[in-house]
Amino acid sequence: MIEQTVFYFFAGLLLLAATMVITVKNPVHAALSLVLAFFCSAAIWLLLQAEFLAIVLILVYVGAVMVLFLFVIMMLDINLTVLREGFSRFLPVGISVAVLMAVSMGLVITSGRFTTGGNYEALKHAADYSNTRELGIALFTDYLYPFEIAGAILLLAIVAAISLTLRKRPDTKTPKVEKQVAVHRAGHVRLVRMEAEKE
Amino acid sequence: MFGFLRDNVWSPLAGAVLSQPYDGYAVYLLDVLIKIIVVVACVLFTFAYTTYAERKVSAWIQLRIGPNRVGVFGFRMFGLAQPVADGIKAIFKEIIIPTRASKLLFVLAPILALGPAFAAWAVIPFNDVMVLADINAGLLYIIAMTSLAVYGIIIAGWASNSKYAFLGSLRSAAQIVSYEISMGFALVCVLVAAGSLNLGDIVNAQSGKYGFLNWYWLPLLPMFYVYFVSGLAETNRLPFDVVEGESEIVAGFHVEYSGIAFATFFIAEYTNMILISILTSILFLGGWLSPFQGIPVVGAPSIFWLLGKTALFLFLFLWIRWTFPRYRYDQIMRLGWKVFLPITIVWVVVTSVMVVAKVPPWFS
Amino acid sequence: MLEHYIPILIFIVIGLGLGCVLFLLGYVLGPNRPDSEKNSPYECGFEAFEDARMKFDVRYYLIAILFIIFDLEIAFFFPWAVVIREIGMTGFWAMMIFLGVLTIGFVYEWRKGALEWE
Repeated sequence: MIEQTVFYFFAGLLLLAATMVITVKNPVHAALSLVLAFFCSAAIWLLLQAEFLAIVLILVYVGAVMVLFLFVIMMLDINLTVLREGFSRFLPVGISVAVLMAVSMGLVITSGRFTTGGNYEALKHAADYSNTRELGIALFTDYLYPFEIAGAILLLAIVAAISLTLRKRPDTKTPKVEKQVAVHRAGHVRLVRMEAEKE
Repeated sequence: MFGFLRDNVWSPLAGAVLSQPYDGYAVYLLDVLIKIIVVVACVLFTFAYTTYAERKVSAWIQLRIGPNRVGVFGFRMFGLAQPVADGIKAIFKEIIIPTRASKLLFVLAPILALGPAFAAWAVIPFNDVMVLADINAGLLYIIAMTSLAVYGIIIAGWASNSKYAFLGSLRSAAQIVSYEISMGFALVCVLVAAGSLNLGDIVNAQSGKYGFLNWYWLPLLPMFYVYFVSGLAETNRLPFDVVEGESEIVAGFHVEYSGIAFATFFIAEYTNMILISILTSILFLGGWLSPFQGIPVVGAPSIFWLLGKTALFLFLFLWIRWTFPRYRYDQIMRLGWKVFLPITIVWVVVTSVMVVAKVPPWFS
Repeated sequence: MLEHYIPILIFIVIGLGLGCVLFLLGYVLGPNRPDSEKNSPYECGFEAFEDARMKFDVRYYLIAILFIIFDLEIAFFFPWAVVIREIGMTGFWAMMIFLGVLTIGFVYEWRKGALEWE
């Protein structure tokens, strides 16, 4: 009973938040609606007993990815009127992409792979079941190769991010800490003995 | 004070709760609610007296007396009623919402700062049985909740539409995000050592016949240090408080906030500080375990050990604040990325080698 | 497992509720005397002469992107740390290779000067 109430609450909130992402005018509000949507989906994953994935969804998407989104949206100073100008011009492309996505989603949902096979109750685990542990054992025995590929992709992401964003400007100065630390008194301070001045 | 929390009345109910008719979980929910209110009240109480302690400690460090006037019915009692007076004052002040601010987000920001700061307390164990939500992924939950702290700050800075607030929130976000990585790796070390994400299990894994030498501060000494210092940076405390930097950007992200809205940020900051202190005690100093394992009476594990250790770290927070000058921003980023991150990566390897090699007495 | 999350759900609701209650208390009990000077954004005494939301150094975005990557890496570490005693040497070395690959990335960003602040 509680479970169903919680599910319908979060599912409804998720739909609402997702709708708001694409309908609200202010991009910051849209990003925050997306955060809410992530929260609701985490709650739904939790209802499916996917403890680890639910919390990682919050950790990675809400705690990291959306922070970047907010950063970009808040600081890029997007001019909305300029963005709206091209609306009618891009409309045909937009509609065709939307139709494509709707069709592919429909194909996936009707493919019969999205049923629980009626034995959802069997998915429930005892209180001491550790989702993280099961996932770890699967990941580091059967799925070692994909795991290493994930590592390589992350490396690629680091290199790509740096080469895309890093611009060296000639007029900037960076403190050389090793030089600062290596400074000795002798090279910089000279003690001078002076006679006391008299009237 | 925690007596009724200890007799875990609801755990037999808990297993059946999802299938029980109304009566079963009404009792259960009431029980949970009471426990949550007790935990929240205790955290708020600690918050109030940490602000008092902060003023007293700073006064002693600077050879002053500190607050000593506010009392009850003419009894001054060293100014112990000061936090109450502060609270009442904050509530009766006007909440100023700047004209050009985004009103909704401006109001939402302090609430978003406070929510996660309190939510993290749901999984903190106070002793072997006194824990609200004994989830398997406790540590993961904590790290997820602390990573949300940045939202209150970013939104506050942006919604205020003030240059100082904006600068403060930007600095703060980059700083928090940088130190979160070292913090995460330090937690991974503890995890590798304990082999469990459950905070209670982590404490119990630290018990042994050598008392305090069995705790993880010793094999994970660099991580202990990195975690606590990152905690200072995460909570924007001195020496990492460029977020507020009075002399540069006035008060940072909350410059436009007044009255209780400001106080809410204040509560969130101190709640996070108390959380970091209690987590450091749990993860590295054996939580409720006694340092004198094996000796009668004083060797028994007790919640008072945990509270004592937490108080010690809280005092350290205050002591550090009034002792060190503020770091420069580039120095903060350097420390996070170029010093702490390499150390933590190396120590993850060292810890896992120790675990695989079963180094006694911790990992045998 | 789910029954452990009910207290958390309630706790989150109470945490957010506390913030709302505090704000409402302040709103109801505090005075409300708006004033155009008082409500203008703080700027050392003069009028604000441009929008406060300005463009920022790309470095901040770089920090945020690198943070995401390392955060993901930490997310991979969590299940590994829990099962390190059970997966044996294969699992251990698999993670060491993963860590090695990412250390290459870290060294790259260091050498490229992505971590320098001026």
